[in-house]
Amino acid sequence: MISNLNNLPSGSTIEADVCIVGAGAAGVSLALSLSGRGLKILLLESGFEFADDKTQDLYAGEVADEKLHSPPDKYRQRRFGGSTTIWGGRCMPFDPIDFEPREYIPQSGWPISYQDLAPYYQQANKLLEAGVYEYDADKVFDEEQQAAIKGFKSDILKTNNLERFSCPTNVGDRYKQRLVLAKDVEVLLGANCTGIRLNQAGNHVNQLDIASLEGIKASVVAKKVILATGGIETTRLLLASNDICKNGIGNEHDLVGRYYQCHIAGNLGKLTVLGATSNVRHGYEVSLEGIYCRRRFALTADTQKKIGAGNMVARLHFPKIVDPSHKIGVLSGLFLAKNFISYEYGKRLKDGRSSFVIYLKHFANIILDPIDTVKFLYHWITKRTLAKRKFPSVILSNKSNQFTFEIHSEQYPNPNSRITLISDTDIFGMPKVKVDWQYLSEDIESVRRSLKVFVQEINQSGLATFEFNDDQLEEDLTRFGAYGGHHIGTTRMGTSPENSVVDADCKLHNIDNLYIASASVFPTSSQANPTLTIVAMSLRLADHIADTVHAGKASHSII
Amino acid sequence: MKVLILGATGHVGSRLHTHLQHANISSIAASRGRMRSNVANHIILDSMNLAELTKQLQNVDAVVNCVAGSKDAIGAGAQILTQAALAVGKPTIVHLSTMSVYGASEGVITETSPFDPDYNWYAAAKCEAEGHMQAYARAGGKVVVLRPGCIHGPGSVQWVERIANLLKTFRLGDLGSAGDGWSNLVHVDDVVKAIHFGLEIPLAAGEIQHFNLAAPDSPRWNQYFIDLAQAIDATPVKRIHPLQLKLDSKAFSPAIKISQKLLAKAKQAGLANRLPEPLPPSLVRLFKQHIFLDAQKASANLSFMTYEQSLLSSIEWLKNEQH
Repeated sequence: MISNLNNLPSGSTIEADVCIVGAGAAGVSLALSLSGRGLKILLLESGFEFADDKTQDLYAGEVADEKLHSPPDKYRQRRFGGSTTIWGGRCMPFDPIDFEPREYIPQSGWPISYQDLAPYYQQANKLLEAGVYEYDADKVFDEEQQAAIKGFKSDILKTNNLERFSCPTNVGDRYKQRLVLAKDVEVLLGANCTGIRLNQAGNHVNQLDIASLEGIKASVVAKKVILATGGIETTRLLLASNDICKNGIGNEHDLVGRYYQCHIAGNLGKLTVLGATSNVRHGYEVSLEGIYCRRRFALTADTQKKIGAGNMVARLHFPKIVDPSHKIGVLSGLFLAKNFISYEYGKRLKDGRSSFVIYLKHFANIILDPIDTVKFLYHWITKRTLAKRKFPSVILSNKSNQFTFEIHSEQYPNPNSRITLISDTDIFGMPKVKVDWQYLSEDIESVRRSLKVFVQEINQSGLATFEFNDDQLEEDLTRFGAYGGHHIGTTRMGTSPENSVVDADCKLHNIDNLYIASASVFPTSSQANPTLTIVAMSLRLADHIADTVHAGKASHSII
Repeated sequence: MKVLILGATGHVGSRLHTHLQHANISSIAASRGRMRSNVANHIILDSMNLAELTKQLQNVDAVVNCVAGSKDAIGAGAQILTQAALAVGKPTIVHLSTMSVYGASEGVITETSPFDPDYNWYAAAKCEAEGHMQAYARAGGKVVVLRPGCIHGPGSVQWVERIANLLKTFRLGDLGSAGDGWSNLVHVDDVVKAIHFGLEIPLAAGEIQHFNLAAPDSPRWNQYFIDLAQAIDATPVKRIHPLQLKLDSKAFSPAIKISQKLLAKAKQAGLANRLPEPLPPSLVRLFKQHIFLDAQKASANLSFMTYEQSLLSSIEWLKNEQH
């Protein structure tokens, strides 16, 4: 059932067995998994089934340095479906090494292992419509015929690391009907959680305060409460609910909001493949079940340990768009269209230094490369704009065998990279957030160590050459700041209240009924985009919660 | 026990006849039309003919009603069957109904869920037929009513061959929300087993029992389409745009249907068979209908084949057919 808080009388109290705050990737997955187990589930959603500016404004806040991090109301959507309404769809699991404590990465190590998540990854993959749970490219595609670089073999630099693409699935739109028909789930739209009220002892959530923008206020009383509002908002809710715990909920040891991680990303280096252009497959392959997939370059876990580097992947990429010397009409077209592309997807097209001459050169590129530009536009319109399973990103035909690497790397957990509250408040009187994302020299040096192995392995293969500008590495990796939309680490998971905010079951250490389903519980960020793991963790949490209230498995599962 | 099977040359009827013979139950296979020399114990019988039917029922202990066809054959046919049965001492009737009696209902559907005869002509006819079965029980007869979901497995033209043809031409695939309904697939051999069970279930005079039939692990349609497509190499599976489905079912398919009828009238069956498969709007509606046929009552007495087993069996049949 889907209802609206504005249709309830002010002062109502809603009771539920489980209350989930936030109907995005985590919240919708939780509700689907918990349904059918004899529980009454309440799924609170601030927004509606459409974008609403006033609701989105509730995400406004500050950033310490806009060059390093986008404003907090970007890359996040406060509406039914959450940020899956705008995500790119890239899916891949975290690697087993991500869960291990690594002495070269301080504060690394999860209290759970990859094996604990493995069964949930399978379900998550299905929910996100990313096909079969198989991320070894050599098991999905031909090892020889569909190799990234024909003949390239290395024991330490692998190319069988796969990423799969969701449609991208908007979980609100896609699973709405399942939730509408589920008699045990109530989705309450327009319901903003404005406070988490604990008992006097501070160890139990008594109720949640909820309010609509139209002025309706109500309370929720639930046996179990799960915050699934995304990394930044979850942090905000905990810190702002400070009537009983003066530093905010779960913040006895000043950990909430700290260790904020995104990903270190950049487009760099020069890879030249020798021989025919057919020796390279840099674009998307389509698996039998119709999923766009792509090979990535990555060092083996043993190599990472040996050189003491964080987890990182690299994709074959085209030259830097902003530099017109690539002479590629399509790229120049993208550059010129950057102001018509949404903030989230246009960000990496803007570096703020483009002169009139640069614009002219881009324009000339289009004029001089009309056939490719038109071909690209046709492909883009039919395979992306009009398609329901969208072609994931811009891929150009390979004419020169020249590529860059698109790097996506783990950040070292850093307590000084953090989210805090400021005195400015939103319409509900909730303090806004300030995001102070920081990176460490270790983040850059880790990528440097990895890239040096790339250079060694690629150059000694005799099939290609690779070089990168050592002096410019930091600039290349931080030119556009933190990779947008990945909000990790601010309510980290761990073994004790001294080192973490939640335990291995995603429950706040000293509160018996408050849980978090968000990338904010990830202690480390991996090389992977977080959505698939958010969903897998949410499904795992649903099973745990069902066990704790003795609900068990669903008699009629709608997942 | 001696059993008369009405509609014995159809998909379920023919497999039932073979099954009963192997189980040493004497069965008579009745159908309209021509004599089938390859069917043991075959008789020609118009189930709409009360006198003929009454005569045949005199010799049996039970009758299985697998009659398909027009609204009349289903609705009025059931009435004639119950009249004939009442006239000859009330043999047990095992009546093959359908989940279509629940019409547009969504959610978990048990045997006591309400009917929806207004859904379409087929639902109306099947509801009417069940009404006659109910009346037969009230008059002291013994009845078992089976309501299967979509019957697949060997011989399933509707749910295997037709779907495969649509997948091969990329008119079906991954439908997204439009294919999120439950498939409620049940293997034809499980339906046959359920009929056999219905024949042997001890019933008191005037008792009627209803059973939904669907494999409990039957997936949503999208899963079935993706699995079947990969098995028949209709790959890569395509994500079908809702607009394509709409155009296909509302414009392209009606044109095919009209052409089929015209060609049939012109006695050009060969040409008609070469036309593409129609994708009627009713089918498109079914694919997105979240109807979950709860077969727990049947599961307590029967073990259903797993989805994986029944899919393999369907694929094997399909591949043999194509050869």
